[in-house]
Amino acid sequence: MPALRVNPNRMELLKLRRRRQVAQRGHKLLKDKLDELMKEFLARIGESRSMRKKVERELFAAYGTFAIARAESGSASLAAALASGHPQDLIEVSERNVMSVRMPHFTLGELPAPGGYSLVTTPIVLDSALDGLAALAPRLIELAEREKAIELLAAEIERTRRRVNALEYVLIPQLDETIRDIGMKLDEAERSNLTRLMKVKEMIEAQQQ
Amino acid sequence: MPAAKVAVVGDRSSVGGFRPLGFAVFALASPGEARDLWPRLTSGEYGVVLVTEPVYEEIDDLVAEAADTAVPAVTVIPGAGSAGGVGEKKLARAIERALGTTVPIREEEE
Repeated sequence: MPALRVNPNRMELLKLRRRRQVAQRGHKLLKDKLDELMKEFLARIGESRSMRKKVERELFAAYGTFAIARAESGSASLAAALASGHPQDLIEVSERNVMSVRMPHFTLGELPAPGGYSLVTTPIVLDSALDGLAALAPRLIELAEREKAIELLAAEIERTRRRVNALEYVLIPQLDETIRDIGMKLDEAERSNLTRLMKVKEMIEAQQQ
Repeated sequence: MPAAKVAVVGDRSSVGGFRPLGFAVFALASPGEARDLWPRLTSGEYGVVLVTEPVYEEIDDLVAEAADTAVPAVTVIPGAGSAGGVGEKKLARAIERALGTTVPIREEEE
């Protein structure tokens, strides 16, 4: 690790020592943060996985019911029935702060009651299919929220680890090396000064005799 | 608290059922159309974007770009007739990013 290019004097030495102290404190803090983030992250993964499995299974069941509805009524009239309804603001988005990672929190409002299609031309199984999907909706939203949280945590962990490593393997060794260099240079200057003084003293004493 | 919509993107037979429930449904003829749709989906109008697996596989680079912003939360759902498991892959990518390596996570007991 090449040392920093600074003037080897006492002033710089003191400054660098202070910097190293700050760097070490920062390193410790960041490392603690990384550990905590990791704990949070790993705790969420397991939950999210089992939740995804459940949601996927129920979604397939819902698709199945829709397929039955389609088979009973024909895809044209089913498409016409499903054209009812229009996009609404379904969720409220708020933010939560977990370990200084801002993650969204979704609150699902009331789903509009499906309707507006002819009850005569559509099979009854369509109603239950829509009910099934409506029951699944809150969990879909929650799954989205959880997975987003995991992604954001992953990004934060990556960033924090980079910082920790930069401090641990680059900045701190660099400062250490520079501090050592300056210390040695100062010692050397001290020694040469001392010998010069001794030499001068000797010369003066030789002159006086 | 700002309100937002929920978008569902996929083929007609998978996503059709969401429409009567107030979801914003984008029924695509081919998964590639999602690419043109993407700027609209990430504009902030939608808080959650559910994409079916074939669509996700088509635009996973765009989804990865959006991973660092708070909204929209993009989630993969299986489409009707797709095999499943793509959502897991997305999760595995996040894990790899965080840990620097992929680790087999033991299955949670149910």
